Amino acid sequence: MNAAQWGGASAIFLASAVEWVEAFTIVLAVALTIGWRRATGAAAAGLGVVAALIVLTGAGLQAMQADIGRIRAAIGIFLLLFGLRWYVKAIRRYAGRTALHDVAREFAATREHLEHAERRAAWVVAFKGVLLEGLEVWLLVVALGHTLSYAAAAGSAVASLAMVIVAGLALRAPLTRVPENTLKYTVSCAILSFGSFWGLGGLAGEQAVWPLGDVTLLLLFAAYAAAGRVIAWRVRVAGSVTVGAQA
Amino acid sequence: MRKLLQLIFGDLRNAVSVAVALLAAYGISRLAPGAAGAALALLLIAAAAFQAA
Repeated sequence: MNAAQWGGASAIFLASAVEWVEAFTIVLAVALTIGWRRATGAAAAGLGVVAALIVLTGAGLQAMQADIGRIRAAIGIFLLLFGLRWYVKAIRRYAGRTALHDVAREFAATREHLEHAERRAAWVVAFKGVLLEGLEVWLLVVALGHTLSYAAAAGSAVASLAMVIVAGLALRAPLTRVPENTLKYTVSCAILSFGSFWGLGGLAGEQAVWPLGDVTLLLLFAAYAAAGRVIAWRVRVAGSVTVGAQA
Repeated sequence: MRKLLQLIFGDLRNAVSVAVALLAAYGISRLAPGAAGAALALLLIAAAAFQAA
């Protein structure tokens, strides 16, 4: 390969890595809730759909590029609906409110049903996250791949995926020692961040509403994480006052 | 189906919170695109505070 081709391959590798890190973050977050086996199954299914789409609609790339905003918006809205619910539940647990509600439940079967539905939804979150990021990598490969062969472009994207997976798996063991509600709270903040980024970006134009680009995800995560703890503290304080007044 | 959707996405309050926050942020994006993202985040945090209380 000449210098231009090496440059193209490097650009695809690095740009793909950004997308794969985002996808892996979602899979990692979901894995901490529903387990690695199911989460990686969802990720594999997402990658499988991307592969099938490449085979089936390779010629319809222009149409796919036009629709990527709508796809992003739809997935973002799904993540917001799911993420906000988890966020509120985790805040209430921090505030000591949901635990009281659980004790008052009359039917254990209802709770099992609830957990089953949540697991299914978490699987869908991982699947859609990988599907969307995979589609973006595919568009990247095609957009930047004209400087070298598509095989080399796809190889760069796959190599970058392998690198992200290896780096990500190293995080598995340390994360198992984190308390459950802290994990769920962190997951909900991550899902809300991606949901906000994709939902509004898909509806109104990503570059217009998120001028800082992918860095915004970190800022959103920090904002949601900090605000949630403040809300939990406020709710706990309000609850303590009420209990004190009743006593 | 309705029950399943409710179990996954929460009650009507949750759906309305997301819809209102997104619509408001989208409206703001027409006038001041740079402020729409922050508005969305603030609205969602306010919705979470309302639901958690």
